[in-house]
Amino acid sequence: MDIRSNRRDADGQSVITANRLLDGITVWRAADGSWKERITESAPVSNTDVEDLLSSLQGKAQELGLVGVYGVQVQDDTDGKIIPVTSRERIRAFGPSVHPEFSPL
Amino acid sequence: MSTETMTRAEAAPAVLPVGRYGYDQIDRTFLRERIEQFRDQVNRRIAGDLTEEEFKPLRLMNGLYLQLHAYMLRVAVPYGTLGSKQVRALARIAREFDKGYGHFTTRQNIQFNWIKLEDTVAALEVLAEADMHAIQTSGNCIRNITSDEFAGAAKDELLDPRVHAEILRQWSTLHPEFTFLPRKFKFAISGSPHDRVVARFHDIGLIARPGPHGRPVFEVFVGGGLGRTPIVGVSLRDDLPEEDLLAYMEAILRVYNAHGRRDNIYKARIKILVQALGTDEFRRQVEEEFVAMDRARYRIEPGLVEAIKARFGAPAFAPAGEAVAVLAEDRRRDIAFDAWVRTNTHEHKAPGYISVVISLKPAGGIPGDATAEQLDLLADLADEFSFGELRVTHLQNVVLGHVRQDQLHTVWQRLSQAGLGTANVNFITDIVACPGLDYCALANARSIPIAQKLSSRFANLELQREIGDLRINISGCINACGHHHAAHLGILGVDKRGQEAFQITLGGSGEEDASIGQILGPAMAEDETVDAVSRLIDLYLVRRENGERFLDTYRRVGTAAFKDVVYAPA
Repeated sequence: MDIRSNRRDADGQSVITANRLLDGITVWRAADGSWKERITESAPVSNTDVEDLLSSLQGKAQELGLVGVYGVQVQDDTDGKIIPVTSRERIRAFGPSVHPEFSPL
Repeated sequence: MSTETMTRAEAAPAVLPVGRYGYDQIDRTFLRERIEQFRDQVNRRIAGDLTEEEFKPLRLMNGLYLQLHAYMLRVAVPYGTLGSKQVRALARIAREFDKGYGHFTTRQNIQFNWIKLEDTVAALEVLAEADMHAIQTSGNCIRNITSDEFAGAAKDELLDPRVHAEILRQWSTLHPEFTFLPRKFKFAISGSPHDRVVARFHDIGLIARPGPHGRPVFEVFVGGGLGRTPIVGVSLRDDLPEEDLLAYMEAILRVYNAHGRRDNIYKARIKILVQALGTDEFRRQVEEEFVAMDRARYRIEPGLVEAIKARFGAPAFAPAGEAVAVLAEDRRRDIAFDAWVRTNTHEHKAPGYISVVISLKPAGGIPGDATAEQLDLLADLADEFSFGELRVTHLQNVVLGHVRQDQLHTVWQRLSQAGLGTANVNFITDIVACPGLDYCALANARSIPIAQKLSSRFANLELQREIGDLRINISGCINACGHHHAAHLGILGVDKRGQEAFQITLGGSGEEDASIGQILGPAMAEDETVDAVSRLIDLYLVRRENGERFLDTYRRVGTAAFKDVVYAPA
């Protein structure tokens, strides 16, 4: 996992992401622990709690059928929308900008 | 008959493919065994018997990456030459295993961005049916060997480099000593004095020419490269005899393998070693290794070259007849066709023939992308008009090598109907761009959208003609897959605290006058960069003299004036 994607502010929020092992598709962790293709269904976690959660999930990646579990900081003040702070993670979440028809949203 | 007892002659194919080496049963058996090996590795990964850390080097050696949105499969196109059956296999993979398109790369390969791990073996089986694979398209090994897109066709060519490219391919495939090098290793080979393969920016670049006794000799450039530390390669030998080609390559690789840095990924390429030792000391160490080797074991005898050559099909050119006159008349009658011929063709060595560059850069399009339908059309055109053979260029276009001039108008009409008739080769909209942050896990910024914006802004063909020869290359990160350092006008995507920004470089060239583009100033936002390019072009049009290219004017005028139009307050 790229270290650039793992930078977090102490007081921010993050969502948990990974790629599915079988097809490589980007997925996001929902509040019920399931993994969704849409970031809109993910559940932000306080950055004070995210490391413990990541540590637990990374140990279960194979069991969950996932590769590369990591946390993605999301923006504050977005009227309830979940938007990653970095360009890279926005593109992972919303699909290649040059093929909007391939967006999961 | 087992592969152990079957001889190459017994296994040789009945019909030889034009322009590339014809596989035999031994090659096909090897590919099948390799696929079964990878099938087992994939199954063990899915079952959890291999961790991702263990599996990653195995999948990479089979061309399978994990990118932002999915797995990506990179397929090898040795020396950039494809047969029509192979192109149809690529179309099938695009259609059945991807989202309907493929992307031609700056290493003359093609990659598919939406492959599923569970489908990969099936995709490799489709490739193998067409004598293709994805071996050594990634990993710290000798990668696909690139060559001149006009090989075997160009009027200025002294030697068809593909036979020696094939010898190098066979030597380097699964070479046990060079499977885990300090870093990836890239060869390019050309047989023309005009460097169309960026030889001076490769780990090893070879320029072949006929020697005094009719056998080829090679100029050997070593230690060139782009990426974080762009360096123009140095000429290590000017007269390497054909018989010593493999021994000398082996000696270079051995010195690199022994002394290349494995402790720092950013200092691991051979260019760093050559710079650290100095050219003379590096050459001395290579020569020392070379003379100590069992040269007889590596010697390329004329019989071997002939045997490899005999496995290449040759085009059966028809007499020129009225072909030249027909083309002249077609050009006179059709202005749009004439414009396309002027930009998108290349002079052929055979009378009455011409090479065609098919632009994969329509206005506002994605450089290097081709849909499954376009790939099928390219295969059809290759069969009907170019002896069933196509070439991929490192500039992300496609070439029909051998078209009779009296059939060129028909070819252009068919291309135009499929959106492939853009007349912009070597113009400002013939932009090279890596996949960038839209797909690539390494990228800092998107490459394709800025290419699309520039392509749209300069779409007017008259304006492009007025600007003339201008190479724009865009890379989404410092790894420089878009070869931005070698462009007249390069654009590099950088990360500014998680946001995309772009630097402009000016003055690069990948040809005989190789030079490294220099950074103009601080990085800018995407739209600012597009506007900045416009201002740079405006300045060039004002300042150029006597038909200068953009690169010539930049070299004459210097950086300051160009920097002023981008950064000075209005």
